[in-house]
Amino acid sequence: MSETVLDVRDLEAGYEPGVPIVRGASITVRKSEIVVVLGPNGAGKSSFIKAIAGLVPITGGTVLLDGKDITAAPAHTMVRLGLAFVPQTENIFQLMSVEDNLKVACGILERREIPARIDEMYAAFPDLMRQRRTAAGNLSGGQRQMLAVARALIVHPKVLVLDEPSAGLSPKFVSMVFEMLAGIRKSGVTILLVEQNAKAALAIGDRAYVLVEGKDRHEGIASELWNDPVVAELYLGQRPSHASKGGVA
Amino acid sequence: MSLQFVIDGLLTGSMIGLGAIGVTLTYSILRFSNFAHGDFMAWGTYATLAVVSAIGATFGKVAPIAPLSFGWPLLVALVVGMAFTALLALLLDRVLFSRLRSQGQAIIVVMASFGASMALRSLLEFTFTSRPTYFSRAIQIAMPVGFGIRITPDQIALLLLTAVLVLGVHLLMTRTQTGRAMQALSQNAALARIVGIDVASVVRVTWIIGGALACVAGVMIGILVQIRPFMGFDMLLPMFAAAILGGIGSIPGAVLGGLIIGLAEAGAVQLIGAEWRAAVSFIILMAVLFVRPIGLFGVRER
Amino acid sequence: MIDLIGYGAFFLTTALIFSLVTLGLNLQWGLTGLFNVGLAGFVAIGAYTSALLTTPDDAARLGGFGLPILVGWLGAMVVGGIAAALTGMATLRLRSDYLAITTFGVAVVVQLVALNAQKLTGGPFGIGFIPRPFGSLAEKPLLFNLSNLAVVAAVTLVAYLALEHLSRSPWGRVLKALREDERAAISLGKSARFYRVQAFAVGGAIMALAGALQAHFTGFIAPDNYLPILTFQVWVMLIVGGSGSNLGAVIGSILVWGIWAGSGTLTSVLFAPEQQARAASLQIVAIGVMLCIILLIRPNGLFGDRLLRPRLGKRAKVTTAKSSSGS
Ligand SMILES: Nc1ncnc2c1ncn2[C@@H]1O[C@H](COP(=O)(O)OP(=O)(O)OP(=O)(O)O)[C@@H](O)[C@H]1O
Ligand SMILES: [Mg+2]
Repeated sequence: MSETVLDVRDLEAGYEPGVPIVRGASITVRKSEIVVVLGPNGAGKSSFIKAIAGLVPITGGTVLLDGKDITAAPAHTMVRLGLAFVPQTENIFQLMSVEDNLKVACGILERREIPARIDEMYAAFPDLMRQRRTAAGNLSGGQRQMLAVARALIVHPKVLVLDEPSAGLSPKFVSMVFEMLAGIRKSGVTILLVEQNAKAALAIGDRAYVLVEGKDRHEGIASELWNDPVVAELYLGQRPSHASKGGVA
Repeated sequence: MSLQFVIDGLLTGSMIGLGAIGVTLTYSILRFSNFAHGDFMAWGTYATLAVVSAIGATFGKVAPIAPLSFGWPLLVALVVGMAFTALLALLLDRVLFSRLRSQGQAIIVVMASFGASMALRSLLEFTFTSRPTYFSRAIQIAMPVGFGIRITPDQIALLLLTAVLVLGVHLLMTRTQTGRAMQALSQNAALARIVGIDVASVVRVTWIIGGALACVAGVMIGILVQIRPFMGFDMLLPMFAAAILGGIGSIPGAVLGGLIIGLAEAGAVQLIGAEWRAAVSFIILMAVLFVRPIGLFGVRER
Repeated sequence: MIDLIGYGAFFLTTALIFSLVTLGLNLQWGLTGLFNVGLAGFVAIGAYTSALLTTPDDAARLGGFGLPILVGWLGAMVVGGIAAALTGMATLRLRSDYLAITTFGVAVVVQLVALNAQKLTGGPFGIGFIPRPFGSLAEKPLLFNLSNLAVVAAVTLVAYLALEHLSRSPWGRVLKALREDERAAISLGKSARFYRVQAFAVGGAIMALAGALQAHFTGFIAPDNYLPILTFQVWVMLIVGGSGSNLGAVIGSILVWGIWAGSGTLTSVLFAPEQQARAASLQIVAIGVMLCIILLIRPNGLFGDRLLRPRLGKRAKVTTAKSSSGS
C-alpha cells in the first residue's frame, strides 16, 4: 500500500457556532490516487473540503497532510503546506488576464522559478497559452476550469482538491474536464474530488466515499461503487446521476 | 476665458488624484469609504512641516534648490512625513478599523472613520490652531509659456512628481506580485486566500500606499496654497467624486477622475467664481451616479 | 433658583430639538439601515425654508413672506423631505457607501448655498428676526423658556409617538425586514428601494422640522450652525442611545448634549479666554474618541435593538448568485 498523503479523521466543522454541518467525516487519500467524494445535495461535501482547505471553521477532528497536522491552518497558508484547492464557483480572477491569474498564484515560489512554471502550464494547457492575454472572465466554461486547475497545479501541490469541476459545463466540456483530471493523475498528482456527476467521476477515480449528512457513510473501490446497492440507497433510492443536479447555466 | 485654468486644473487635479488613489484602494480592498483619508493628508502635511522646522532649527537656513521655493530639507521632510502618515494609517487600522472589520460591520467602519476624522482634525486644531501656515512665504515668479498660460517652477516640479508617483503606483499594481495580490483581493477575497495571499499583509501595503500618497497630496497643497487643519477634510468630496468617476479600484481612473474634477473646478472658478468651487465635485458625482455608477474604468458594480 | 429652572428649560429645549434630529436619523439608520453623514444639510434646509417663509419682508433678500409659523414648519418638512427623497433616489440602488458619500456632498453644498447665495440665505450673516412662537413673552425669560420647552416637547412627543407607531406598523416591519435580510430586499427589488426612499424622506423631513424649530427658538440662523460637527454630534447621540430604539435616540440625545454642554462649561471655566477655541477642539476629540470606543465595545448603545449586519455583504452576493443560477 502506498503512502498516505491526506488523512482526515472525524472532522467536524460548521459556519455558525452550534450548527455543525460536517459531523465526524473521515477519509484517506494515498499518493497518486484519485479519491472521489459523492453524496446527495446538501450533504456537506463542499463544506467538508472547504473545512480541509481552511475556509470553514473546524470544531473537531484532525487533518494530516504528509503526516503533518494542518488542522485549521489559515487558508492562505495551505498552498505553502502543499494543498491546492479549486472551489466550485468563482474560481478565477475574472478581471485579470489568464497569465496574471497564473502569476498571482505563484506567491510562494522564487521569482526566477515563475517563468518556467508558467511555461509548464502552457505546455500542459495549450488553450491557455493561446488566450494568455485575455481577461479570464471572457474564457469559455471549460477553459475557465482549465485555468482554475492550472492555477492550482502551478505550485506543484502534494494534493489537488476540487469541488465539482464539471458542474455547470456543457457535456462536451464535462468529458474534457474528466480527461484532464485523468491526465493530471497520470503525471503523479494526488487528487481529492467532490462530484455530483458520479458516473464520470467513478470512471476516473480509484476509490470513493459517500458522504451523507456530514458523515462518511460508505467507502469502496470506485469502479465497483457504481453498481453498489448501498450507494443507491444512500442517495434515497435515486440513482446517483448528474441529472439530479438540475440544469445549471 | 484664459487658458490659465488648464494649469490650475492640472495642479488641483494632481492633488485630488493622489488622494483619490488612496480612497479607491481602501474602497476596493478594504471595502469601505474612509472619511479619515482627508485627515491623513493634513496630518502628513503638519508632520512634514514639523520636520522642516526641526531641520531648520538644526542646520540653520538652507538655500532653496535653484528656481524652486524649497530646498533639500523639504524633500527629506516629505519622505519622513510619508512614512509618518503611513504609520498613522496603519495604527488607526490596528486600533479601530481592523477590529470593526473582523466583526463584519462594513458600514460601521465608515462611521468609525467619520468619528476618527473628526478627532484627528480637531487634534490638529488643538495643537496648531486653525490659523493657516506656509512652507515658504517666498513669492515665485510665474513664467509665461504661451497661450496666455503662466507657470511657476514649483508647479512644474510638483506636476512631474505627481506623474512619477502615479506611474510608479501603476507599475506596482500591474507588474509586481504585490500589486497582483492587491488586485486579486479586490476582485475576490475568498479566492485570494485560497491562492495563498496573506490578506493582512496586503491590507498593510494598501494603508502604506494610501497614507504616503495622501501626505504628498497634502504637502502639494501646503506648497501651492496653504496649510490648515481643514485642508484635507475639504478635499474629501473631490477625492470621493474622483474615485467614483474613475471607477472604484482603478488607479488610472482615480487619477483621471482627479484631473477631470480639477479642470472642471478651475474652469468653474473662472466662469462663476471661487466660492462655488466645492459644488463642482458634487455635481459631477451626481451625474456619474445617475449616468454610469461604475465610473469610467469600472467594470462591474460590487 | 429661578435662573436654574430657566437654564434647565433652555437646556432641555435644545436637547429635545437634538432628539428630534436623532429620531429622524434613527428612522433612516436605526430602522432602515441607511447611512446619512450629511444630516446637518437637511437640518439647515429646514431652518432656512421656515425662516424664509415666516420672516417679515426683507429688501436685501428674497422674501420673507411673513407667513404663519406653522406654515413655515410644514414647508420645512416638505422641502427637507423632497431633498432627502431625491438623494435617496440617486443612490439607493447602489452600494450603501454611495449614499454616505452623497449625503456628505449634500451637506457641503447646502453649506455652500447658505454661505454664498446671499439673495436667498443672507450669506455668512444669516437670517435674523425669525418670529418666535411666544415672542410676546420675551420680557419674562422664565415663562418664555418654559413655553418654548412646552412647544418643543410637544412636537418631539408627537414625532416620537408617530415613529413608535410607524415602526410597529406593517410599513415599519417591512423596513426592519429589509434591514436584516438582504435576501428579502433583493427579492422585493424595486419596491424595496421605494420603501427605503420613503423612510429616508420621512427621516429628512423630521430633521428639517427640527431645524425649523431651532430657528424659531433662537430667532436667528447662520451657516455656522450647520457644520459637520452637528452631523457628528447627532450620530454620537444615536449610537450612545442605541440605534433602532426611539427611546434610546431621545435619551442618548439628552445625555450627550448634557456631556457636551457640561464639558463646554468646564472648558470655559478651566481655560483662559484666548485658549477657548483650542479647548473646544479638544472637546471634539474627546467625543470622537468616545464614538469609536462605543462602536468597538458596545455597538448597540444603551437601548439598541439592531442585529448588526452589513447591508450588502458577501452573503448577499452569494445568495444572488445562487438564486440567479438556480432558477
Ligand atoms: N456559507 C454558508 N453559511 C451557512 N451555511 C452554509 C453555507 N454554505 C453552505 N451552508 C449549509 O451547509 C449545508 C451543506 O452545504 P454544502 O454546500 O456543503 O453541501 P454540498 O454537499 O456541497 O451540496 P451541493 O451538492 O449542493 O453542492 C447546507 O445545509 C447549506 O445550507
Ligand atoms: Mg457543493
